[in-house]
Amino acid sequence: MSRGIRQSQSTLHTWSGLLLGWVLFLVFLTGTVAFWREALNRYMRPELARVEQPMRVLNGAQRLLSSKAPGAKGWLIAMPSAQMPGAQVSWQPQPKPGEVRGRRGGGRGRRDNQALIGADGLPSQVRDTRGGEFFYRFHFDLYYLPVIWSRWLVGVAGVTMLVAILTGIVTHKKIFRDFFTLRRAKGQRSWLDGHNATAVLALPFHLMITYTGVVTLMALLMPWATVANYADETRMFADLFPQAPVVERTGRPVPLKPLATMVRDAEARLGGPVGTIDVSQPGDAAAQVTMYRTPASLLNTRAPSITYDGTTGVPVWRSPAPGGAAATAGVMIGLHAGRFADLALRWLYFLCGVAGTLMVASGLVLWTVKRRDKLADPARPHLGFHVVERLNVAVIGGFPLGVAVLFWANRLLPVVMPGRSRWEVHALFIAWGVAALLALARRPATAWVWLFGATGTLLALLPAYNLLATRWNAATSLAAGDLLPLGVDATVLAFAGGYLWLARRVACYRPPVRAGRRARASAIPIAAMQEAAA
Amino acid sequence: MSWASLLLCVAAFACFGFATDEHHHRLTGRRPGAGVRRRWRGAAWCALALALAAAVAARGWAFGPVLWSGAAMFGAGLVFLALNFGPRRAGGVGANRR
Repeated sequence: MSRGIRQSQSTLHTWSGLLLGWVLFLVFLTGTVAFWREALNRYMRPELARVEQPMRVLNGAQRLLSSKAPGAKGWLIAMPSAQMPGAQVSWQPQPKPGEVRGRRGGGRGRRDNQALIGADGLPSQVRDTRGGEFFYRFHFDLYYLPVIWSRWLVGVAGVTMLVAILTGIVTHKKIFRDFFTLRRAKGQRSWLDGHNATAVLALPFHLMITYTGVVTLMALLMPWATVANYADETRMFADLFPQAPVVERTGRPVPLKPLATMVRDAEARLGGPVGTIDVSQPGDAAAQVTMYRTPASLLNTRAPSITYDGTTGVPVWRSPAPGGAAATAGVMIGLHAGRFADLALRWLYFLCGVAGTLMVASGLVLWTVKRRDKLADPARPHLGFHVVERLNVAVIGGFPLGVAVLFWANRLLPVVMPGRSRWEVHALFIAWGVAALLALARRPATAWVWLFGATGTLLALLPAYNLLATRWNAATSLAAGDLLPLGVDATVLAFAGGYLWLARRVACYRPPVRAGRRARASAIPIAAMQEAAA
Repeated sequence: MSWASLLLCVAAFACFGFATDEHHHRLTGRRPGAGVRRRWRGAAWCALALALAAAVAARGWAFGPVLWSGAAMFGAGLVFLALNFGPRRAGGVGANRR
């Protein structure tokens, strides 16, 4: 390979990594946390006991829906299990005459059409929180921004990430030979080794997660295939997500069969546990119940479904086997989201995600480390350097602080509070905003220490607070045989330790003073602090 | 069988690590010759292949390869940390001892 190509690839690697690096950091971090989406859904609702008898909860859900929304257009029930906080139910009222038919599940967003059934089968008064769903949505929808813009931004970031990974492999062939090498406390060399290690050790994961991540957004990024084949978008959805024919309300009331019986039958026929139950026209002679198998047991996220006549409990329709393309896409999304993963595999996903987040962060810092020595006057770096350095502090230092604050807001905001779940998220962004201001106001050497220290302290105190003040915590849950709160608390503590260690390393770092560079020595402590983390 | 796959992956990367000049020298005090390096690498590849077989036996063809690549990354990470942050052999030269 000629030197010219290597050089051009190196340049491409540097700039494709930098340009959207901060977006990638956010996407990687929240995506990594989102591997614990279900776990956090439970962890962030500490008043709920673990579901021990799913059918009891399901019966409770049916009772509540029958009394609260007997004539609804449809019900949607997330099947309870030990991994779920309870049964999340929502209902969609009948459209008023003249109203345009809303989208399927259009009532899902409205708060007054939702309830959560607890382990005892009764609707529970639980804090309003988005739990792990926030991280999952933020991972591709970001927040405050219109969804389409966010997805474009994340999609473009994903493509540049793919470019950065591939060019990184091409440029630095040596990374495979230096696989096990980490030269510590060697400044730029250490940063490079660290960046390589996080990249190469989890390279299969990085390639897979980036490629499949872009695949999840393919219809947005490359719409031409669908445009060429489908004039009507709803036709495409009908082909991709086949459903039983829609039923019209007859007006003749017939009670709905118990859902629990149909779930048992569906689980036998589908060959795996049911994840979602969709009831249309409940309580009517035309009632229909569709059971979707949960993607938690499948590599393909597009789970098969079976539809029952709601009044007799007899199956009337079954989803056809997916086509090759649909199955491929489904499997790729399944690989990306890791919903099939059991605890061990999920930990591997999580650790690889942590490695990816570190890779992005170390790459961003490396950009400044590499250029600092070449600055004409390190005390007064040029504007571009300034921007990257401060953005690094604001994003890499600031966003984790925001996440820590989100966890605290989840615990501390009053349980009954209008817009509570939104305020939890606002708290994250307020903390992040403050961190960004700090990054502007203070020298990076100081700001890194403050932000890492604050994040570590907040995370370290959280498990202690849980033990003292929450109903289901590490101790009480463990007594009931539930490891989840202990697991999350222990993980939080591990990260607290990591952040405090980082803060200490940066605070104690004294860059080597080289002879003949005395004039620059005063500037180095400010600038070279980040190297300490190596 | 899942555990066997994981352990085999760790062993595989331990062999890969042991095949590198630097770590071999640090751990044994000797420079590995080309033949030694090749033998350790061969052993590593065998262990990786066995790990794949174990993973497929444990989880089937759909999830087995996923488990295997996860286990391989885990093994690589663990060996990386052990080689770079683990105890250093006193007799070794300790090229980058702090």
